[in-house]
Amino acid sequence: MSALPSNRALYRSGPAALSWPRQVGAGWWYQLKMQAQSGFVVLVSLIQPLIFASIAMADQQAGNRTLPLLYYALGAGIMGIWSTVVFGCGGALSWQRHQGMLEPLVMVPAPLIVVLLGITLGTASVGLYSMGATLLWGWLIFGAHIHLVDPLAFGLAAEVMIVALGLLGLVLGSSFVLYRNANSLSNALEYPVWLVCGLVVPLSLLPGWTHYLAYILAPTWGIKAMRTAALGGDPWPAILWCAVSSVAYLGLGVILVSNVERLARRHATLTFQ
Amino acid sequence: MSALPLQRTRRTGNFWRVFFVGGLISYRALFYWITPWQYIPTMLAAPLFQILFFVYLGRATGVGSTTFFVVGNSIQICSMSGIYGMTMALANERQFQTLSPILATPANRMALFLGRGLPVLVSGLQTTAFGFLVSALILDFRPAPGVLPELALTVLVSTASCTGFGMALGSFGLRARDVWLVANIAYFAMLLLCGVEVPLHQLPGVLQVVAHALPLTHGIAAGRLLASGHHLAAAWPDIWEELAIGVAWAVLAFLLFIYFEREGRRTGSFDRL
Repeated sequence: MSALPSNRALYRSGPAALSWPRQVGAGWWYQLKMQAQSGFVVLVSLIQPLIFASIAMADQQAGNRTLPLLYYALGAGIMGIWSTVVFGCGGALSWQRHQGMLEPLVMVPAPLIVVLLGITLGTASVGLYSMGATLLWGWLIFGAHIHLVDPLAFGLAAEVMIVALGLLGLVLGSSFVLYRNANSLSNALEYPVWLVCGLVVPLSLLPGWTHYLAYILAPTWGIKAMRTAALGGDPWPAILWCAVSSVAYLGLGVILVSNVERLARRHATLTFQ
Repeated sequence: MSALPLQRTRRTGNFWRVFFVGGLISYRALFYWITPWQYIPTMLAAPLFQILFFVYLGRATGVGSTTFFVVGNSIQICSMSGIYGMTMALANERQFQTLSPILATPANRMALFLGRGLPVLVSGLQTTAFGFLVSALILDFRPAPGVLPELALTVLVSTASCTGFGMALGSFGLRARDVWLVANIAYFAMLLLCGVEVPLHQLPGVLQVVAHALPLTHGIAAGRLLASGHHLAAAWPDIWEELAIGVAWAVLAFLLFIYFEREGRRTGSFDRL
């Protein structure tokens, strides 16, 4: 007993089923703190969304003004969240491997999926800065009327969407690790998802075949839920679809991560590029 | 006495060798996205999706025609190469710890500096040409065939001007720790400030002043005039202004390069990361 360090909390694992949420929570919090130190994250989650929000809202004011400013402020916020996810989560596994951290992460008793969940959910949560920033920017600079019809549903929609995007990030991270140049893939995936999910362009303007892509992507349901909660309408079906897509992403993520782990162990590529 | 012209010829030969061969080698060594796995997603796919995204945003807001957004974005995407490529061509020398050996050589600094711009300029032209070509194929962008050479001239001047701006940003990389953040902000700020997505007259007065000092603003204006059927005479003032701004940025960039070289020698900061 005397050999145990004074900080016993570190060793308080308990039954596996109960310790996993704590491990995800600890990873989430650590990731939040770490991301806040990164200049790139500040760019992607704050500066870039403000530039895109300004473009969309300036175009709205110069154009036909058929959609309210809040429509574009919300869309630009989720654009920022997606950028954070596609860069932060897309390269999460590759980055751990590049840093030589994948080997210890695989070696620890906690399952790799639990460790990665903390990272991807934390990264997606950082994207919430974007939402706050674009709403504040729209109100301060463009005079957007920020009135939420159903604040409770809006808050819930935001949380469900963050979880869904974090889990989608898990799928991206475990897929991109198979591709040597994950960052290039992230570069190419930013605009298509912004467009296809109807974040600032109504889906009705896009060709019909793009709608099928939109339905399987969580940002489509996230923005729909948040817009209906903010501007009026029934947000609950979209919130439900967002939750359903989260479960599907989690299942896919578990399969992909275990596959990556198995292949990396077999080919001894846990520490190599 | 007879040896002097020979010496001068050798010096001139050396200048062009450093300019062409040195420029090409530095591009191959320092441009991250040179392999097809990186070049296609980053230099072709991402810019193409950027064009599509803003064309559809323009349709949603009704702020401008398809031509307005195709010309603006197709010219602006040259900055993928002009800004990021030039930043890599200069700042990566420091990142890869090769700056000291290069600056220890007696190579002509003007040739060393400008030679790096040429491959970047060609790469930027490729990206812009690809943007126009795909827009013609899928967005029904149809400028009059007679204006194509004039449009090509405008694109050449704009890309050169943007490369000059990128040189200035890259020069900061000889000293600044995180020049990528600045390069990223510059790229996205140009979307807002250079009249790419928002008509210039919609911007506040201060931002309009900034816009006129930036590359691409006048080139895009000239390109739009030509694409909408105006003659070269109408676009000349803008083309000249674009050229003058580009030269001014290139001169500033070279002065910064010389200044940071001297400062680096004085403080021994070339290899400090």
